[in-house]
Amino acid sequence: MKQDLMAAASLTGVSKSLGGKPVLRELSLSINVGEVTALLGPNGAGKSTTVSLLIGRLQPDAGEVALYGLKPNRPAARARLGVMLQAAGLPDVMTVAEMVTLQSGYYRDPRPLGETLALAGLEDLAHRPCGTLSGGQARRVQYALAVCGRPGLLVLDEPTAAMDRASARALWSTVRDAAADGAAVLITTHDLAEADTLADRVVVMDAGRIVADDTPTAIRALAGGAVVRCRSAIPTTRAAALPGVLQATSDGAELRLVTTDAAATVRRLLDADASLADLHVHDAALEDAIVNLLSRDERIAA
Amino acid sequence: MTDLALPAGIWRRECAAELKRSWRLPQFLVPTVLTPAAFYGLFTLAISKHVSPTQAVATLAGYGVFAAIGPALFGFGAGIAMEREQGLIELKRVSPLPAGAYVAAKLTAAVAATGAALSLIYLLAIIAGAALSPAQWILLVALHLASTVPFAFIGFGLGMRMSGKGAVAAANALFLGSAVLGGLWIPSTMLPSWMQAVGEAVPSYHLGQLALGVVGMPVIGSVWLHGAIVAGMTVVAAIWAWTGWRRSPA
Repeated sequence: MKQDLMAAASLTGVSKSLGGKPVLRELSLSINVGEVTALLGPNGAGKSTTVSLLIGRLQPDAGEVALYGLKPNRPAARARLGVMLQAAGLPDVMTVAEMVTLQSGYYRDPRPLGETLALAGLEDLAHRPCGTLSGGQARRVQYALAVCGRPGLLVLDEPTAAMDRASARALWSTVRDAAADGAAVLITTHDLAEADTLADRVVVMDAGRIVADDTPTAIRALAGGAVVRCRSAIPTTRAAALPGVLQATSDGAELRLVTTDAAATVRRLLDADASLADLHVHDAALEDAIVNLLSRDERIAA
Repeated sequence: MTDLALPAGIWRRECAAELKRSWRLPQFLVPTVLTPAAFYGLFTLAISKHVSPTQAVATLAGYGVFAAIGPALFGFGAGIAMEREQGLIELKRVSPLPAGAYVAAKLTAAVAATGAALSLIYLLAIIAGAALSPAQWILLVALHLASTVPFAFIGFGLGMRMSGKGAVAAANALFLGSAVLGGLWIPSTMLPSWMQAVGEAVPSYHLGQLALGVVGMPVIGSVWLHGAIVAGMTVVAAIWAWTGWRRSPA
């Protein structure tokens, strides 16, 4: 709301049902210029539906979706949009360079082919038919197709899924550059490290609503949680019932608890297991913070 | 606003890319191009010992329509259904590519395949002694190529509604059904009366009758009526295709 003038895209009071089931409930979200926004949430939270509405593949039941003040399926809106879809394929028999050239031709002021290929790290693959690419390489081609037209709004649906870490890092840096150049970027991801590294802003969705919308740092603080790690014989089922504990996991050797009240949890943990050793308490990572947020949201909903 | 102006040549480039892509998919091209010519050669020319030029011309009319149905139904129907399953259409649909350019590119590829199939059939017909006036040839070529259009729309409607496998099965059934019921293989006058009656509901029957008219053979009913019915069926098929496109999210 604070930066309405800078919003490249916005959803306002959007509701959407699919197959009779409500997926989004009065969702409002704006994607701002010069900012990387990460959309997070469990499966079924409504992330893909939000993306589909934003790029005009679906129409809202109620509310409004606008790209640069236009309906997303208008040609003038599409001309400023670059999309990397999760489920999109590539024609096997066309080469990487042919696909990028064809896609570039859809835009009025595209990047030169060489520049796009370099951005996506595809120089060596330019003449390979798309059918011979690995999953990660195909994702890089999808990325090239999304950025070749210098879009003002870049929508990346799970961009680094199936990519190796080095490719993912290279892509992150070009996404950061795009935002620095003034693009509005929306990514959806399951990879919290990705959101933490890349995003200026994290939007957490659950059950069709936004449960948090802030910087990664603020989200971690907002969740206010801590992580307790130790060696203990206590089974996870029992640990999960301790005061403040949201999540209990064990890798066999180490018990790991996400908690809203580290002091209370540790006190009871020590009472329960005299042989407990190697106790560590530290601030929750973004992942733990989100577990905390989502479970808090569940308790409110229940 | 200049934003609305499309980049110059966007339609032409899309058509060229689609032609290139079809050319590199021989598993699609070879059957649709060779089958009609093979059928024509086998059933019309090879079976009877002495093919009269009249026979060669009369059967050419129907087989030319048949040659247009394959690329249209398989390229559009089965092709689009499979592209949809592979997510190839999704990216096109969210790109600043006009939907019309996408369809025009597909149609260009289908018409090109029809053209290739037709040239083989025409060659065989000429070898068998078929003789037509230049005006007749021009009309016949135009009619045969245009026969792609109604079937392309029917295929498009199928492709947007069915799975890849389902669309292949449906295209096969329609391909053979249109040929038989349309009287493209066996003249409609020789079909049982119920098949003739059903045949009137398929565009291939009316296209086949129009083609007979062009080559100067007897036509069942009025040529103008056949033309009007084909035009009407094409419009209905186009609406069906359009609603399928609008309804499908990808």
